[in-house]
Amino acid sequence: MNDAQPASRSALREVRESLRGKRGVLVLLGLWSLVEALPAFLGGLLVTHAVDAGFAVDRPLAGLAWLLLLGITVFVGAWGTREVYPRLAAIVEPFRDDLLRRVVRGALARSASGEHLGDDASGVARLTQQVEIAREAYAGLLMVVRGFVFTVGGALLGMLWLDSLLLVLVLPPLAVGLVFFFLFVGRMKDRQRELIMADERLAEGASTAAGGLRDIVAFGAEGRAADALGRRVDEQALAGARLASIGTARFCAVAIGGWTPLLMVIAAAPWLLRNGATPGTVMGALVYITQALLPALQTLIQGLGGSGIRLSVALQRINETSGSHTSCPALLSGPKSARLPDGYGVVLRNITFGYGEHAVPVIRGLDLEIPQDDHLAIVGPSGIGKSTLAGLVSGLIEPMRGDIWLGGVLLKRLDPHLVAQRRVLIPQEAYIFSGTVEENLGYLRPEASRAEMEATVEALGLHPLMERLGGYRALVRPSELSAGERQQIALARAHLSAARLVILDEATCHMDPVAEALAEEAFAHRPGSLVVIAHRVSSALRARRILVLDGTRAELGGHEELLVSSPLYRDLVGHWRVGNTAEPG
Amino acid sequence: MVTQSTADQATAVSDVRGADHLLLQASRHGRVWTLLLAVTAVLGTVAEIALPALLGRTVDSLVFAQSSLVWVIGCVAVVVLLVLCDTLGGLAAGRGSAAGTAWLRHTMIQHMLALGDRATQRFSRGDLVSRLVSSAAEAGNAAAVVVWATLSFVPSIGSLVALWLIYPWLAVAFVTGLPILVVLLRSFARDTTDLITRYQRSQGRIAAALMDALGGIRTIRAAATLDREQGRVLRELPALSELGHGTWRAQTRISAQGALIVPLLEVAVLSVAGFALSAGHISHGEMIAAWRYVALGTGFGMPAMLLARLARARGGGRRVHEVLTEPAMRYGTASLPAGPGELEFRNISLVVAQEQVFDGLNLVVPAGSSLAVVGRSGTGKSLLAAIAGRLLDPDVGDVVLDGVPLSTLNRKEIRDAIGYAFERPALVGETLADVIGLGLHQPSADLIEQAARAAQADAFIERLPQGYRTRLQKAPLSGGEAQRLGLARAFAHNGRVLILDDATSSLDTATELQISSILTGQLSDRTRIIVAHRASTAALANLVVWLDEGRIRAIGPHRDLWRNPAYRANFTPGVPPAGSASPVDRIAAEETS
Repeated sequence: MNDAQPASRSALREVRESLRGKRGVLVLLGLWSLVEALPAFLGGLLVTHAVDAGFAVDRPLAGLAWLLLLGITVFVGAWGTREVYPRLAAIVEPFRDDLLRRVVRGALARSASGEHLGDDASGVARLTQQVEIAREAYAGLLMVVRGFVFTVGGALLGMLWLDSLLLVLVLPPLAVGLVFFFLFVGRMKDRQRELIMADERLAEGASTAAGGLRDIVAFGAEGRAADALGRRVDEQALAGARLASIGTARFCAVAIGGWTPLLMVIAAAPWLLRNGATPGTVMGALVYITQALLPALQTLIQGLGGSGIRLSVALQRINETSGSHTSCPALLSGPKSARLPDGYGVVLRNITFGYGEHAVPVIRGLDLEIPQDDHLAIVGPSGIGKSTLAGLVSGLIEPMRGDIWLGGVLLKRLDPHLVAQRRVLIPQEAYIFSGTVEENLGYLRPEASRAEMEATVEALGLHPLMERLGGYRALVRPSELSAGERQQIALARAHLSAARLVILDEATCHMDPVAEALAEEAFAHRPGSLVVIAHRVSSALRARRILVLDGTRAELGGHEELLVSSPLYRDLVGHWRVGNTAEPG
Repeated sequence: MVTQSTADQATAVSDVRGADHLLLQASRHGRVWTLLLAVTAVLGTVAEIALPALLGRTVDSLVFAQSSLVWVIGCVAVVVLLVLCDTLGGLAAGRGSAAGTAWLRHTMIQHMLALGDRATQRFSRGDLVSRLVSSAAEAGNAAAVVVWATLSFVPSIGSLVALWLIYPWLAVAFVTGLPILVVLLRSFARDTTDLITRYQRSQGRIAAALMDALGGIRTIRAAATLDREQGRVLRELPALSELGHGTWRAQTRISAQGALIVPLLEVAVLSVAGFALSAGHISHGEMIAAWRYVALGTGFGMPAMLLARLARARGGGRRVHEVLTEPAMRYGTASLPAGPGELEFRNISLVVAQEQVFDGLNLVVPAGSSLAVVGRSGTGKSLLAAIAGRLLDPDVGDVVLDGVPLSTLNRKEIRDAIGYAFERPALVGETLADVIGLGLHQPSADLIEQAARAAQADAFIERLPQGYRTRLQKAPLSGGEAQRLGLARAFAHNGRVLILDDATSSLDTATELQISSILTGQLSDRTRIIVAHRASTAALANLVVWLDEGRIRAIGPHRDLWRNPAYRANFTPGVPPAGSASPVDRIAAEETS
C-alpha cells in the first residue's frame, strides 16, 4: 500500500513555509545575529590594532586598551546570543506544533478513511518521535546556517576592511568548496535514507525472529531464519559503508572551502606585503580564516550533512505516513441527500463485498431486513464476515454491489453525522481516552444529564466499576483498565446515546458471561433495534431472530427453526452437548 | 543445565574481560580499516598540534622578510596531511564499525537461534532486538571510540605544553581560566535534564492519546467524531509548547555564558602575550600561535563525550556478550530408524524457578495414538509438551522416540520427526504460504493449500486480497486465525509425532469440531499429544493423562475419568457441573473454560 504520490513537499519548501508570516521575528533574529557576530567581525581588526599600534611599537597599554575593547565586544556578542535564542524558539516551536498537528490529524484521518489496512498503530504513533527529530534538526539547521552566514559575513567584512585583496584570495575557494558540497548533498541524503531504511528493516526482522524463536526451532528453520536476518545485517552494513564513503565528500569540501584560503593567504603573503599590506594585516587575515571562517564552514557542512538530512528524511517520513488528509472523510463517497431518514429500519438488497478484486467475496448477494425494534443476533465461525456485515450496516464500508437503506434513505446518501445520531456501533476494541469518567460515558451524548448517566450505570450494573474508578469526575487512564472494563464503558456510552439502532460487534467478548447477559438484557429493554454480532452462542439464544453466516449462504430464523434447518447452527450450538453432558460413545 | 547461580559471581570479572575481548574481536573484523583509523588519528592529532606553531613561524619569516619558502611548504604539507587524515579517518571509522557491527550481529543471530525459546525467556523479545540492533552497533563502534577517546586528551595537553614553551605565563593565564569553564559545563547537565524529562513526558502523553484514538478508530468513524478526537489528542499541545519554550530559555543562559567564557579566556591569554611581545619575549608569530592554542586547548567537551561513548561501547559489548554466554542446547549425531512414532518419557524431573514441576515422571504414548494432557493451569502441561519434542531439556531423564533418546538425535532428525502447534503461534515468513511452509524445503502450493484446508484456514485466506500470497504484515489476523495458520503449519509438517499445545483455544466450537475430525481421521496415523482445556477435545483422545502438581494423577479414557468430579473441575473452574444451570449459562460456561 505505498502511496502513489511520494512526499512531494521538499524539506526546503517545508522550511520556507514555516518561515512565512514570521517576517517580524526574522528581522529581529537577523539584527540580534548581527550583534552576536560582532566579535567575529571585529576580532581580527582589534587584535591587529593591538599589535600594530600597541604591543609591537612599545605601547603595551594602548595594546591592552584595544584588547579591552575586544573584551567588550565579546560581552556585546554574548548579549546578542541571549537575544537570538528566544527568536529561534519563536520559529522552531510553532514549526513543531504545526508538524504535530499535521501528524495527529493525518494519522487519524488516514486511519479513519480505512485505506491502510495493514498499518500498525504503533508505527504511526512513532511518528511523534519523527516530529521530535524534525524539531531538533530544524533548530540545528537554523542555528548552523544562521551562524555560518553571520560569522563568515563578519569575517569577510573584517578582511575587506584590512585589505580588499584578501577577498580575491579567500572568496573563490570558499565558493568552490560550497558548490562542491552542494553537488554531493543530494547523494549523501539518499545514502543516509538508505541507512535509515536498512536500520528499520533490520529491527523489524530482528523483532520477527526474536518473537518466533520457539517456533523457528520447533520447525528446524534456524538456517533459513539466520539467512533471512543475516541478509538484513549485511544490507545494513553495506548501507553504513556506503554512507561512510560518500561522507568523505564533506571533508573534501572543508579542505577546498576552508583550508585552501588559508594556504592561499600564506603563499600570497610576500605579494601582499609588496602591495602595501602590513605584517599585522597578514596576521589578521590568518586569524579571520582560522578562528572564524574555517570553524563556521566545518559546522555548516557537518550541520547540513547531519541536521539537514535528518530533517529532510523525517519530514518525508511524516508526509508519507500522515499524507494530505486532515479533515473528516465522509463515511461513504457520493452526493448527499437532503432527505432525513424516516425511522431506523435497515434494508440490505443483494449486497456483495470482498477485500480486493481477486479475493473471494466475504459477503455475496445478501438480502436482509432489520425492522424497527428488532433484536437480531448474527452468528457464524470466526473470520466468516460478521464484522464486515456490521461495518456495512453501519455505513463504514461500501458494498461492491447492492444497496443499503436506513429509514428509507440510501445509506451512502446520508451525512455521517446524521447517521451517527441514528445508529451506534460498538466494536470489539473499545475506545477509551484519557479524560474523566463523565467525558468517556458522555462520548456519544455530551449533553446527557447526571441522572441519565446514573440510570445507564444502574441498568448495566456498573456500580462496582464506577466505585473502582473513583466516580464521574475521576480521571481514566486507558492503559489501567482491563479489556472487559473498557468494553463496559463503551457499552454504557451506547446505552446512553440517543441512537435507536444499536450494533454490538463482539462488544462484550472480554466480559464475563454474567456481565454480558446483563448488558444484553439492558439493551433489549432499551427502545430501538439491537443487532448483536455474537461472540458466544448464548447471545443468539437471547435474540428474537438469528442470522447464521457460513461463508457462502446466510440463513435467518429463530433458534428452534435453525436447529432443524442449519447444520452449521447445530454445530455451533449443539457441539457443547457432546463435550459436557452427553458422554461420547 | 548449567548452574547459573554460582557462575554469576565467580565469573563477573571474567565476563567483563570476555566482553572487552569481544570488542577486540569486532575491531579485528574491521581489518585494514581499524589500522587505517589508528594511523590517521595519530597523524591527524600531531598535525593539528603542529599547525599553529608552524603558522607562527611562517608569519615571523614573512614579517622579518626572511626566506619563507620552507615554512610555506611546511604549512602546505601539514594542512594536506590534516585533511587527508580527517578524510581517511572518517572513512575508516565508518567502514570499520560497519564491518565490526555486522560480525557481532551475525555471531549473535547464530547463537540466538541456537538458544531458541530460552533466549526469549532469559532476555525477552524487545530486549533481544535492542541488543542486536543498538548494543551491537555501539559495540561495533568500539575501535573508533577507543582511538578517539585516547587521543582526545592530546590537543588540550599539547596546547598547554605549547603555551608553556612559547611563554610560561601564557599557560598560567590559560589554566586559571579553566575551572570556570568546567563549572559551567557541569551546570549545563543539571539545569536541563528535569525540563527535558518533563518535555518528553508531555510528548509521550500525546503519543499515547494518538495510540488510543487509532486503536478506537472504528468507534470514532462510526460516531463521526474525528474532528473532536483530533482536538482531544492535541489537548496537551499548549503544555508541550510551553515546556519546549522552557528548554530554549534554559539553553539561552548556557549559550550566552558559553559565548563569553572561551573568548574571554582568549582575551586574557592575548593580553599576557601582548606584554610578552612588547618585552621581546615572544614574536608576532608566537602571539598568533598562542591565540590558536587557546582555541585548540578549550575543546574539553570532547574527552568527556568520548569517554561516555566508550562506556556505551563497552556496555553494548557486555550486552551482546551476555547473550553469547548463555548456554545453548547441544544436539547429538544419531539418526532415527523408521518407526511408527512411539514416544516414551523416562523418569523425567524438571525444576523451574526453584519449583519441582516434574519428579520422576514416566509415561508411554503408544505409536499412532492420541494422548490428551489435562490439568489445572500451572501444572506443567505446556512444559510436558515442550519436553516431548525437545524444545526444552528435562533436568533428569530422557524422552525416547522409537527407541532413541531425543538428546542423542541430530537437530534435523528431531525437527523432521516432530511437529508442533501452539496456543499463540509466532508466525514466521514473508507471505501466508511461507508461514504455513515454515521449515519445509520448497513446499508445493498443493501441500500448503491442503494443510490450510485441514486447519479450516482456507476460507479466510482466500478472502484476503492476495490469497496465499498476502504478506503476513498486511494481513490483520485475529487470535483464532493465527491459531489456524499455526495448525496448518503443523499439519504441513509431515512428521511421525504431532504436538498440539492448547492450539485450538481461540477457535469457535464449530471450527474446533472440524479440526478434531481431521485429527481423528486424516492424521490418525501420527502420534498426537494434545494439551486440552476443553472437555470435548479430551473426549476425542484415545487416552487422557491427568496432571496434578507435577504428578500423573490418573491415566485413562476421558469417559472413565469423567466420573471423578475433581477431573471435571479441570474443565469448568468455578462453575457448577453440567446439569444445574439453564442451557444458556451452561453454553456460556463451556465457552469460557
